[in-house]
Amino acid sequence: MKSVRLKVHLVLFGTLAGVLAFGYRSYELKNEFVRHQSAMNKSLEIQSTALTLSQLSNAARLPQSEFDKLREWQREVTSPERKDALSSLTYAVSRNKKVDIQRTSLEVAKVENQYFNKTKAQSEELLSQIERSIALSLGCGILGLLIVGYIVRARVFRPLDRLSRRMKDFLVDRYSFQFSHPDASELGELQRTFNSLAQRVINSMDELKELNQTKSEFLNIASHELRTPLTSIKGSLNLIASGVMGELNPACSRLVKIAETETDRLIRLINDLLDLAKIETGKLPLARTWHSWDAVVAKTVEGLLGLAHETEVRIKADPIPGLEVFVDHDRLQQILTNLISNALKFSPKGGWVHVTAEITDYGPLLVKVIDQGPGIAPEDCDKVFQRFRQGNAPQPQNALLKGTGLGLPIAKALVNEHGGEIGVESELGKGSIFWFTLPQWRDEESSSEDRKPNSERVA
Amino acid sequence: MRILLAEDDPNIATVTQLCLEKIGGHEVVVRHDGEAAFDTASREPFDLIILDGMMPKKNGLQVAIELQASGVVGTPIIFLSAKTEESDIEEFLKVGSGYIAKPFDPQTICDQIDKILGKDGSGS
Repeated sequence: MKSVRLKVHLVLFGTLAGVLAFGYRSYELKNEFVRHQSAMNKSLEIQSTALTLSQLSNAARLPQSEFDKLREWQREVTSPERKDALSSLTYAVSRNKKVDIQRTSLEVAKVENQYFNKTKAQSEELLSQIERSIALSLGCGILGLLIVGYIVRARVFRPLDRLSRRMKDFLVDRYSFQFSHPDASELGELQRTFNSLAQRVINSMDELKELNQTKSEFLNIASHELRTPLTSIKGSLNLIASGVMGELNPACSRLVKIAETETDRLIRLINDLLDLAKIETGKLPLARTWHSWDAVVAKTVEGLLGLAHETEVRIKADPIPGLEVFVDHDRLQQILTNLISNALKFSPKGGWVHVTAEITDYGPLLVKVIDQGPGIAPEDCDKVFQRFRQGNAPQPQNALLKGTGLGLPIAKALVNEHGGEIGVESELGKGSIFWFTLPQWRDEESSSEDRKPNSERVA
Repeated sequence: MRILLAEDDPNIATVTQLCLEKIGGHEVVVRHDGEAAFDTASREPFDLIILDGMMPKKNGLQVAIELQASGVVGTPIIFLSAKTEESDIEEFLKVGSGYIAKPFDPQTICDQIDKILGKDGSGS
């Protein structure tokens, strides 16, 4: 049988029919029983009248109403035996023969007694039949419900459980899916739908993977092919600029300098693009160990002193002795470099860039890079982390300071790889706060556990 | 210092040769493919061999491994490559004394050569 629905309906219908049939039978038996009871009552009445008559000395004293009753009973009773006995009695009473009345009334009493006993036995039999009928009717109902319950459990709930388990599996591990033999029922339809949905998801995932693979291959080749000519260009320009090939006039020198600077920018752009592609395709495994926060910041700031000097902006970093973070050292430095260099470029001369780290109530370490730049319009705050979207802020005029438009996207990707989040709070004209979180940190100085709620020690 | 430079891209070869000669003051012999580089290195003595990672006929790694196998063990080998995959860099460092990423600037390549050879202890 194919459909669970059909099955359930059939069983329910059968159950209903059974319950009704046995119920109706009980009702009929009850009516029969009631008839037997009234017949027995009448028989008892006849008996008592007959016994009374048998003891009467003078039949003439029998009231007319009693006599009418006798006649009526004679008409009513069906069995010939009882009819005969009653009619003999009626005849004797009408003849008023004492001896006959005594004899026939005893005869009636005897016949009625027999009849009573027989009917009583029958009605007892009826009673047990009624009991049986009611039991069967109830049994039918209970059995039907049990069968329906079993069908629903086995063919609906269990497959449903399996389906929901499979769906969860599918979410966790994309390839354990598929009902190899879908049930033949309505649930099977659901399973088949799930199968084709899963297949579609897997197909598009494969396509995406392939696309991603192609993209990363393309980037690899492209960056190699771009680097080769750039090596010659950069080398040549550097040689000319260095003067070892002969003195240049000032105008030439300036032009060569421009070419050199732009070549360097092009190289930075290629490196950034490749980095981003590597992170996005998961080809940049993080080498995470515990590092002193202060040491990482100090090293980063050291690398940015040249830029700070160029832009005439100071970098302030609050030391936090004892704080350690579980990170890839070079990548954290890259994150900080990208955020701080961004801040330096947009800050006014004589301003400062402030780097802070604080332990949050909710767990991770919160790092902030605060600048005094022009700020970012609220609608641009999300865009700055997208590629080549540098907001509407005026770009620095100095070519050395021009970014590649990939610094913040790379910082975001790296922060995410570390399990943290990144964002910016800003208001036009009031500077910006670029922040990010690092989930794994520990405080070597403080031994109290409550100060490091989220510091996971890695075995 | 006598340097053998194997680089298939003629432009890069010229620029690198000029860098090494004009800034580093070295004597440079240039070869344009792996086989030629191997032949020259087997016949003539050099203080340093610089190999491009990707070359026709024999790539840099192959040349280095074959040179070392044929007994040219005293000469330090440095790789030049535009490849930036960590696995490639590891491979280069396993076989050679150093690795210089393209693109490089002239001063840097000379400094790096001094540094690598200084560390190697055979830079005289």
